[in-house]
Amino acid sequence: MSHAHPTTPAFKSNSRDALANANLQTALRNARGHFVDKRAAAAAKVSEFEQIRDAGREMKNHTLAHLDLYLEEYEARVTAAGGHVHWAESAEDARRIVLEICRSVNAKTVNKGKTMISEECGINDHLAANGITPVETDLGEYIIQLRHEAPSHIIAPAVHVTVPEIEAAFRKAHAHLPPDRDLSDNATLQMEARRILREKYFQAEVGITGANMLIAETGQSVIVTNEGNGDLSQSLPKVHIVMASLEKLVPTLDDAATVLRLLARSATGQEMSVYTTFSSGPRRSEDPDGPEQYHVVLLDNGRSNMVGTEFQEMLRCIRCGACMNHCPVYQSVGGHAYGWVYPGPMGAVLTPSLIGVEEGGQLPNASTFCGRCESVCPMKIPLPRMMRHWREREFEKRLTPSAARYGLSLWAFFARRPALYRFGTRMGMKALRRLAGGRGRLASLPLGGGWTGERDFPAPQGKTFMDQWKEARR
Amino acid sequence: MSARDRILGRLRTALADPERPQPEREAAVAARLRGEGPHAPVPAFAQAHGQARLTQFMAKLEAVDATVSRVSSLPELPRALAHELRNRNLPAEIRHGADPAFAGLDWGAISASTGIGRIEEPATLSRARYGMAETGTLVLASGPDNPVTLTFLGETHFVVVFEDDVKAGLEEVWAGLRGSGLDPRTVNMVTGPSRSADIGQKLQLGAHGPVALHVFLVSGSGLTDA
Ligand code: SF4
Repeated sequence: MSHAHPTTPAFKSNSRDALANANLQTALRNARGHFVDKRAAAAAKVSEFEQIRDAGREMKNHTLAHLDLYLEEYEARVTAAGGHVHWAESAEDARRIVLEICRSVNAKTVNKGKTMISEECGINDHLAANGITPVETDLGEYIIQLRHEAPSHIIAPAVHVTVPEIEAAFRKAHAHLPPDRDLSDNATLQMEARRILREKYFQAEVGITGANMLIAETGQSVIVTNEGNGDLSQSLPKVHIVMASLEKLVPTLDDAATVLRLLARSATGQEMSVYTTFSSGPRRSEDPDGPEQYHVVLLDNGRSNMVGTEFQEMLRCIRCGACMNHCPVYQSVGGHAYGWVYPGPMGAVLTPSLIGVEEGGQLPNASTFCGRCESVCPMKIPLPRMMRHWREREFEKRLTPSAARYGLSLWAFFARRPALYRFGTRMGMKALRRLAGGRGRLASLPLGGGWTGERDFPAPQGKTFMDQWKEARR
Repeated sequence: MSARDRILGRLRTALADPERPQPEREAAVAARLRGEGPHAPVPAFAQAHGQARLTQFMAKLEAVDATVSRVSSLPELPRALAHELRNRNLPAEIRHGADPAFAGLDWGAISASTGIGRIEEPATLSRARYGMAETGTLVLASGPDNPVTLTFLGETHFVVVFEDDVKAGLEEVWAGLRGSGLDPRTVNMVTGPSRSADIGQKLQLGAHGPVALHVFLVSGSGLTDA
């Protein structure tokens, strides 16, 4: 499966399949809570976390309000360092540019660090169709490439795959290794992938990475990873291509610090990811290693049309994944049900913006509106409000009555599933208590602006009714 | 019209604000790029001083699964390294760059070679330009002194940091990097050995980069006392 053809309109039947898929449910259960607890612990350790979130929001708002100017500054710095900036209006532009660069060095193999922009542009299929082998080097991406799947999470792409499924994929793909070898634990699986990919790093002519940030002050691209694959992918081949979308710009190194202090804590609960790498231009004349060419493909693909609209705030997203980790719908159906590159709440807002409301317009209904996503989003993006904007747009566009009914039936689909509904309300209550900060009163309520404008809303004090009922029965 | 012009044109139209003429927007960008802020608050744990800073640095290193030992002066480094290699059952070999800190050292029984990382590197040695107490991070600058591939290809990566180069947090690191002209092709911030949780959501060290990371924290500025 690839993302070339979105299955987003089939979200409801995708979800039904996902709920009935035992392996997927095992994998999702295994991950559930994992990210949530770690993020909470990491955020609680930083007494300034709220102020840093506010600073992050201010910084991105300022950057987006001056994006034309920052892009020009950034481009000038990249060029001064000997790099090349390629502007891509569409996914098709990006595919063409990447292929041209690969062909210019007769590339046969291209190593990939993890990049969602490459997913968005369908780079792998395009390279393969033109006789160039793309090799995903992030362990999770490698696993799903072997399984011919798309990532199901923006930072944990193989979160939907169980360990026995990984073993099966390795046995099939690494057929040159002894069939009776022991792959019974996670460590031997990881070691086998490490050995195989280590050789691939030395074979590729081109390395493609994404970018977590582009810094206007310095012309650097920044990647944040835990494995080191992005660094081997960019340091060993002759050519380094960075694929990044417009909104990755930040003005200065100090602004990058704000993002770094939020990103890992929100994503995995780490204080800092293992590797944060700042790259600028090709290797210097005296350097003994590093790429000889440095290209940045700057992707628009619909983003400039979001600027100046009620969806501009979505461009503050730093792709930490917290919103999906805390989303009861995502937790229940996984990422593939969303049918395109970006799952979870951020995908529900971004997908219709990037591929159109006709294709992606159902996703904003895939929500229990519990408000948890907004409460954990480090950039304080009002995700539920923007999902509502999409519903209004859908209405204004007078999409066919059946499409409008579809939205309602999708909501009903989730509301009818008691386990999911309970999980959603429980998460919502925890989030509301936290917002109330122990005061027991909420001055403002996510989604309830009209109501709480008049009065305080009592913060939920206990457990949900269902929780209490179950406990009482024990 | 080029793609660049069309993208920038769309942004300019969308962002045009009759209340804020273009020169005003340009001035706001120039001020921010000059470092005039506004600045986010610097967290308390990014402001440690003196001995507390070194203590925090070492504690954070251990929290991210790195190990650390203190070395009283640079000439002591080969002995400290030999000790670590032996303890880890590694061959008495090290690969390092042309960093002047390593140039005059007597490696004794260790066979030391200079150059970039190769496909099999049991142990590599780099010098970090800075340590960072905020998160137990090493800041390495690529170049002939410390080739970037040594940081990622060593099975065990040894890193020398001088005490005087340990900074409190990101802001101090930026000041240092700006001061030296930001010339390296890559600045690598390393916080612990490589890891992945992609298999069964269970964290395991040694994904593609080093399986182990050991820091030699060398007294002072690394200059030998005359
Ligand atoms: S919308 Fe917010 S929480 Fe979700 S990925 Fe983006 S920054 Fe993270």
